[in-house]
Amino acid sequence: MRVLFKITERLLGEVKTQLGRPHPFASERVGFLLCRVGLLDGGDLIILSHSLHDVADEDYIDDSTVGAMMGPDAIRKALQVAYRQQASMFHVHLHLHQGRPGFSRTDERETARFVPDFWNVQPELPHGAIVFSGDSACGKCWIPGRKAPAEISRFGVVGIPSRRL
Amino acid sequence: MKISSRSELKLDRQSFLGEDSASLLDACRVAIVGLGGGGSHVAQQLGHLGVGDFLLIDPDFVEETNLNRLVGATQEDVGKGVSKTSVTARVIAGVNPRVRIWTETAQWQVCATALRSCDVIFGCVDSISEREQLETVARRYLIPYIDLGMDVHKVNGEYIVGGQVALSMPDGPCLRCMGIVTERALELEAKRYGAAGGRPQVVWANGVLASLAVGYFVQIITPWYKGQKPPILIEFDGNTQTVAPSNKLQYLEGHRCRHFADLASLGDPFWKAQGIERMEAKV
Repeated sequence: MRVLFKITERLLGEVKTQLGRPHPFASERVGFLLCRVGLLDGGDLIILSHSLHDVADEDYIDDSTVGAMMGPDAIRKALQVAYRQQASMFHVHLHLHQGRPGFSRTDERETARFVPDFWNVQPELPHGAIVFSGDSACGKCWIPGRKAPAEISRFGVVGIPSRRL
Repeated sequence: MKISSRSELKLDRQSFLGEDSASLLDACRVAIVGLGGGGSHVAQQLGHLGVGDFLLIDPDFVEETNLNRLVGATQEDVGKGVSKTSVTARVIAGVNPRVRIWTETAQWQVCATALRSCDVIFGCVDSISEREQLETVARRYLIPYIDLGMDVHKVNGEYIVGGQVALSMPDGPCLRCMGIVTERALELEAKRYGAAGGRPQVVWANGVLASLAVGYFVQIITPWYKGQKPPILIEFDGNTQTVAPSNKLQYLEGHRCRHFADLASLGDPFWKAQGIERMEAKV
């Protein structure tokens, strides 16, 4: 089974604008994409992104060893959103370069720690983490019932023209 | 039914569509729902363009009254009771033998899950309610939906030929926003439910609308034109032979659709995680 991800050109633009803003002390911003999911005829899982949940300025922790560190309130608020809106949540941040991005060791460690927490509020839904670069993306998806996350194998941007990242 | 074979479709004359346009078009999966006058025209053009993967859906078989507009249909097809999907598949495969074609001679609702993996859906159906339902499926899976509508009306003893093509992008105005789907139109249609008799249709009007629809498609799939985005609603006046952006567009400037704004309008409506295992077992 492949995991596919779709986002509209408008939402991708919003993600890049919102997360590209400077923060009072963190060197990068993070957020969460609210998504829904579907199964395709060929057995693939498709993640359909809907909107961006921003992490508030005051919910970052001042930690110069990492680009951005979310505090407990950031996670709590994101869990609330997932619960209330029945959303599949994908943590998102930017790498400001062209070409395929990758998860840093800190990204790997931190996402593996907090992403499965979303199953406490939405156990039926996949959740995950995504990094967008200038022209590409990478992502992982935690699927209910499976311990290890799956790689997102294709990112589609829907617009005029549509494209793949 | 799957039809495929191997031979190259030469696309040198349209290479201006972009360096990778041939591979983009070949990788593209398109659904055409309704293969009458509009849908058969769309299919023929997409076949020539080099679209590589088709899902063709129509429940009907060729009848004599279809021959005034059904591209590719012959007298022989009428005699043999050939399906419209088979006729259209034959037309496309005749142009591009490498094409992958899936046909469903059924109501589209029966095979709606197959629509989810398409890159673009063309709606070439008559009824307003079906157009709304098709658009809803497209929106659920963030798929651009291109809608064709044609009508002939008798007004004061004179026939008026007209139609429109609408582009419903997942983050743009929908058919309701554009005034194509209205409660009044749905109500009138429901009252006519079951009424016999075909609606007037003519080949040249179908051809104009199909060409406009394919124009939208090419802008969605290939990066050939970086200028102004196309108007999302184009109207055809068959009496004066004019095509123009709809006047309704002035009210849709900067408009954000509220009909499909909720998170709940995305994805499988009845999602269950166990479905993943069931689907994997099936595949």
